[in-house]
Amino acid sequence: MAVRIVTDSTADIPQDQARAAGITIVPLTVFFGDEAYLDGIELDSASFYKKLAASKTLPRTSQPSPAAFQQAYTRLVEEGADAILSVHLSAKLSGTFQSARTARDTLPDTVKEIPIDIIDSQSISVGMSRAILLAAQEARAGLGLAEIKARVLDQLARTRILAVLDTLEFVRRGGRIGGARAMLGNMLSVKPIVSLRDGEVIPVEQPRTRSKAYARIAQLVQAMARVEHVSIAESNDEVGHQLAQEIQTVYTGELPIYRLGAVLGTHTGPGTAAVAVVAEQGSKGR
Amino acid sequence: MQNQKSYAQVRTQRLRRISVFDGQDLKKAILAGAAWLEEHRDAIDALNVFPVPDGDTGSNMSATMQAAIREIVASEETVAGTIAAKLAHGALLGARGNSGVILSQILRGLAQGLDKKQTFSATDLALALQEAQRLAYRAVLKPVEGTILTVVRETAEAAQASAQRGDDLVAMMQELVMAARQSVARTPDLLPTLKQAGVVDSGGQGFCTILEGVWRYVRGESGASPTAAMQERVLESSLPETGVRRGRVTVEEEFGYEVVFLLRGEDLDVEKIRQTIIDMGGVSTVVAGDEQMLKVHTHTEQPGKILDYGVSLGSLLDINIENLQEQSLAYAAESEAEHAAEQDRPPAKQIATVAVVAGPGFEKVFQSVGLTAIVPGGQTMNPSTEELLAAVNAVDADKVILLPNNSNVILSARQVVDLTSKEVYIVPTETMPQGIAALLGFNFEADFESNCKAMTEAATSVQTAEITTAIRTVQIGDVRVREGDYIGLVNGNLVIAGRDMKHIIGETLQRMNIERYEIVTLYFGEGITQRQAEETAKGIKQKYSQLEIEVVDGGQPHYTYILAAE
Repeated sequence: MAVRIVTDSTADIPQDQARAAGITIVPLTVFFGDEAYLDGIELDSASFYKKLAASKTLPRTSQPSPAAFQQAYTRLVEEGADAILSVHLSAKLSGTFQSARTARDTLPDTVKEIPIDIIDSQSISVGMSRAILLAAQEARAGLGLAEIKARVLDQLARTRILAVLDTLEFVRRGGRIGGARAMLGNMLSVKPIVSLRDGEVIPVEQPRTRSKAYARIAQLVQAMARVEHVSIAESNDEVGHQLAQEIQTVYTGELPIYRLGAVLGTHTGPGTAAVAVVAEQGSKGR
Repeated sequence: MQNQKSYAQVRTQRLRRISVFDGQDLKKAILAGAAWLEEHRDAIDALNVFPVPDGDTGSNMSATMQAAIREIVASEETVAGTIAAKLAHGALLGARGNSGVILSQILRGLAQGLDKKQTFSATDLALALQEAQRLAYRAVLKPVEGTILTVVRETAEAAQASAQRGDDLVAMMQELVMAARQSVARTPDLLPTLKQAGVVDSGGQGFCTILEGVWRYVRGESGASPTAAMQERVLESSLPETGVRRGRVTVEEEFGYEVVFLLRGEDLDVEKIRQTIIDMGGVSTVVAGDEQMLKVHTHTEQPGKILDYGVSLGSLLDINIENLQEQSLAYAAESEAEHAAEQDRPPAKQIATVAVVAGPGFEKVFQSVGLTAIVPGGQTMNPSTEELLAAVNAVDADKVILLPNNSNVILSARQVVDLTSKEVYIVPTETMPQGIAALLGFNFEADFESNCKAMTEAATSVQTAEITTAIRTVQIGDVRVREGDYIGLVNGNLVIAGRDMKHIIGETLQRMNIERYEIVTLYFGEGITQRQAEETAKGIKQKYSQLEIEVVDGGQPHYTYILAAE
């Protein structure tokens, strides 16, 4: 009867919210030198950015092991799950999705066989968190796996994420630069706006200042067709609130603000603010 | 009153009369005008309002004239309308600077007025000049009196009056020169900036100088004497040419239609067909082939007539008729092969950007922010329409956004739009920092239209200050400038002059309300070291601590510093 929802820590869904919604979060790992921290469990967002500012070397990240997923799936089966929907960050940005598949395909025979569907969200953070939160609601309401999955895919297809970064340096060093490579040669300091398409980082614009970047993002949001939902992810209160203020000039609905976790912080750097916009059904979104 | 006195003098001094000009007469007259302009180029360059090195009107107009005569220098063509059309074509492509573009429009008006005419009379010329002034005014978005526009208009008015008095082109030319000179002399009364600078309008003077050269030729003073054919007609006094079509002046569309077809028949007479089509009103007519098969290419306002004629001779193949409203005469005439080649090419990259850039450092910056192609030039080296066109055609994209980065290049850039089959949009940037801001506003995700809009908006978000050295002594507004002073300009307007560079920079920044901005990019020019620039930046930072200042090697000529605030 019950479908259970699994995601990873890059969804940036807070622990208590996940617990309340019945979502299982499998954490990625962040390394500062040899010290390993489970994202969101052993290292929260605020501590991460403090560490990042103090650290001489840049942190690294790693995907959850298949064993971590097996553990999560096994526990859910034991708790009586009839099916599992496991939604993860873009497979082009991380091996997490692959790890989850490996875990499913190699579950020991001792675990009762149930359907486990694994989705590559082709997105990240607030770009996928709303789809996951809705899925959890739908699961509680008793919807079946196929139905929930279809709704998740539909929600993801209508979601577009835009982020303003302080610098592309962290994206570049993490090897996730993608199409935003086109912006790398810039001799002038800019606050690049990037997005994701087909799961990869793409360039959008290169405003010179933060205030212009926020204003541009608000304009881009306004230019999108009718909007069903908007949420923000921030690396600190200041950038998040500045972006929120601009967004609120063009959008008056509810505007939840989440914290970017340690893994996303590692790959985007300090001073990152992102907005995810879900277009209304029937209007075009990306 | 004075006007009439000069007319009287002219008439008594007149040695001979000329009632009609043919193509060769027109050619020689224009060559003389171009030569006279070239001779006086430097003097016209010196008629500069601002004490900054900038687009020199004399050089720009002369370069445009030289391009105009390129195609007629060796031409034996006797049809006046054809010579005029070639002049217009050359000028269109060779136009440099705003004055060059306006001059090219004057020649285009002349060509339209003389369209299809074997010869022309004083009345024809008066009508053609009307057309010339109309197109000249249309070339600029906001016509300003006290410029070349006024001089052309008043000259055209004088031509009308002259044509009513008589049909002598010699007398008319003198009257035109007199009218133009007086008009030029009045420009400071119409345009206060001229009066303050103590100069007449340079573009108006350039136009007047061309007329003077023409007049010198007509009365036999310049090197070339009137041709034999012209002398033969000297004493002829005939009625004005028949077929003067006054309606021509109000005809809206320039070139009508381009008609191209293959004609298959027997015993086709190429010469006769060409002449017939020309007689039927075909312009730029090319008829090539042999007795069995030939290709006809012409421009006409009545394509039906030409096609009917073709059908009467044989069977028509590959008929192609295009409305030339959106396509230039110049381009269409030679685009046949190119068109075919273009269609074979793989689909081009969506959008390219082309910018006019001066200085090796600026070139690097522009490339680093994603510019596709550079046309070298700028302040003192205004690129011609042809150079801009070549760059637009060369980039691997069907849609091109063009950044002139100089107020004196915007008009020539606008000409490009009609000269290429590509879709071209001009973001009217007046400075290089505006161009960079526009490029940074380029949205990788958006389509052409959205980007044109976004980039135009982004360009206006930056304020440009320039620090340079005055090249002469002048008073502009309440700013007294001595030659050799450092001067500060904000968005092209002179705000301060003096001997102490630090002070000048400080004052200039204050005038642009620098405290309202977040980031200043300091581009240092040719002859300034990184160290000097860093020092300057430090000075600014001391005063405006909240500003972020970025020092960039611009390498631009003439301008010690270019500052962009945003």
